[in-house]
Amino acid sequence: MTNAESAMSQEYKDALESLLFQLADDDFMYAYRGSEWLGLAPHIEADIAFSSISQDTMGHAAMYYQLLEDLGAGKADHLAHFRPSEDRKNSILLERVNGEGYYMETPHYDWAYAVVRSVFYTYAKKVKLDSLRESAYLPLADVALKVRMELYYHKMHWDIWFKQLLNSTDVAKKKMNDAIQLVLADFGDVFSFGSHKQAIEKNGLIASEEELKDKWSKLIAPLFQSVQMTTPIIPEPSDKNGRNGKHTSDLEKGLATLSEVNKVDSAAVW
Amino acid sequence: MMGEEKFYQEYEIFSKRTPSSAFQHQFSLLAPNEDMAFIMAQENFMRREPVADIWIVNRKHIKKMNDEEKMTLNRLENKDYRTTKGYGYLKKKWRQYEQEMLDEKEILSWGGVRK
Amino acid sequence: MTYMSVETEEAKLDKFMERIESGDKIEADDWMPDEYRMTLIKLISMHGMSEIMGALPEKEWVPRAPSLYRKLGIMAKVQDEMGHGQLLLRVTEDLLIPYNKNRGDLMQDLFTGDLKFHNVFHMETKTWADAGIIGWLVDGAAIITQTDMLKASYGPYSRALQRICAEEVFHAQHGESIILALAEGTENQKAMVQEALNRWWEPLLMFFGPASKETTGSSKQDLTIKYKIRTKTNEEFRQIFFDKYIPRILSLGLTIPDPTLHYDKESNMWSYQQPDWNEFKKIIKNQGPRSEARLNLRRHSYEYNSWVRDALSATIS
Repeated sequence: MTNAESAMSQEYKDALESLLFQLADDDFMYAYRGSEWLGLAPHIEADIAFSSISQDTMGHAAMYYQLLEDLGAGKADHLAHFRPSEDRKNSILLERVNGEGYYMETPHYDWAYAVVRSVFYTYAKKVKLDSLRESAYLPLADVALKVRMELYYHKMHWDIWFKQLLNSTDVAKKKMNDAIQLVLADFGDVFSFGSHKQAIEKNGLIASEEELKDKWSKLIAPLFQSVQMTTPIIPEPSDKNGRNGKHTSDLEKGLATLSEVNKVDSAAVW
Repeated sequence: MMGEEKFYQEYEIFSKRTPSSAFQHQFSLLAPNEDMAFIMAQENFMRREPVADIWIVNRKHIKKMNDEEKMTLNRLENKDYRTTKGYGYLKKKWRQYEQEMLDEKEILSWGGVRK
Repeated sequence: MTYMSVETEEAKLDKFMERIESGDKIEADDWMPDEYRMTLIKLISMHGMSEIMGALPEKEWVPRAPSLYRKLGIMAKVQDEMGHGQLLLRVTEDLLIPYNKNRGDLMQDLFTGDLKFHNVFHMETKTWADAGIIGWLVDGAAIITQTDMLKASYGPYSRALQRICAEEVFHAQHGESIILALAEGTENQKAMVQEALNRWWEPLLMFFGPASKETTGSSKQDLTIKYKIRTKTNEEFRQIFFDKYIPRILSLGLTIPDPTLHYDKESNMWSYQQPDWNEFKKIIKNQGPRSEARLNLRRHSYEYNSWVRDALSATIS
């Protein structure tokens, strides 16, 4: 046990772990959903660019899981693959399927949904990372600084897709607006810290939920203005708050796929 | 496939590895416009190497040479007077005055610290 | 009227062959005989589409890869396959300019079956070990044919191959890493590799194509050699593959599913059981075990989001 670790109160440690799981699980699920798109995007060049974003993001998840491993929460790979859905802390927005249908068959993946979910999430991630740079937990502040570096590209990439599709045909506008509604419906828990809210905020691990929401709205407002739309209002978390381990069946199915190979013999080296 | 003709515009991608290096042609990609070409360029062609800057050029803006124009590139090899090759005899001359010839190597070294 | 245009076709052809013989590179805008253009289009479009279709069998294992590192590695690898497809399709598209055809047409040719893709990508991937075998041996086989064409007479193809081969080195090591972990693992894992090897051995032999056109009725190897696009025959490639990989396969304690396989010292050749070339013909006619499913996935995803291409065609600036 390191000095830093031994000095932590149980409340602090629980709050820190909860926040780290939220960050890790968000990125892990986002990257997983992105990886399902691999090979299926509407344009080859776009497919390749999207995959880099998924890879970056899974790399970010791996860094957060590593912080948890350093805290003694378990091996990073185990944390990513084998925690049951009720232990998962990701927002339900990020576990949602890309569209109807299993990825091995002929899934109806919706590019508008991919773009909108990515825009909303990337802005949320940016706002959190900006705050995490000043986190009281220094190893997290260090990681945030690194992750933030790769976010410039992600943000620019999704900004351009968002603007161009909303400035194009009626079909595209309709699909994008439908996707915005879908994403908004699940957006309530993105800025929730769940039952650890007080301890997370009190210990200066990250800014408050309210402050982050406010920053997100301000940050994304120009993007909505550029497509002549009003900035959406972030809803309250629904009864399915992912931060408290409440999830949809999409997560359960996803986790089964993610751990399918390793599950055969989780003691083996793969 | 309505309209896809326009979707498939060709863009030539150039990049440089370091701030001080020259731009190099990488490859071409298809994109509907410059901004799209821009967000796809690095990840399509420079996923593993350092990049300091990227240029995107729509191929229709490139003036290319046809075969006839390429014939203007030929010339005789009788232009020693343009190069140091035509002035090689100076080395011997300077020796008469007990001076070293200021050759390319010597002159280009003057940019450094005064010795 | 210019000097160039009064030149007879015959003189142009002579000059062209002279350039090729002297090791000159032909560029997209240069004059070239139709036969050369057609040979290139056929070869490179098939190569490119094979990459695009080849992304699909491995993609099946992307979410299922057994660790964070493996997930990242296989994502990067499949991304590269799409990237190779991009490079090769771009080279093909430039060759198609005189015919007024673009990528959309190439996709349609794939869907109608006019444009074929490599036999190996019509096969099933049953376990994680298949993903390993693809990286190790299918990419290994591809490296052998692709490195042979690094000096191809067609400049754009040769330059695309330089990029591709550099990445293939990573692919091969990615595959080796998966296979070594399994081969050194539990009995269960070892059995997985052996079973995957049994499944992939015949497709791997087929990958290089028949030794001569008598076997299947057609072969483009003669033309590609004539135009200095490649230098070796199908059988020479296969023999190099044996040289490089048989000792490695055996060193891991794996059994090659061909009891007749042996090295013949007299001829300096590996003697092996011929794969079923009738089966090969069926497979490349899109009648392989996963041909229809993968084509269906490719077609569906291309059409389902065609609105995106339509939408952005409207933003042209």
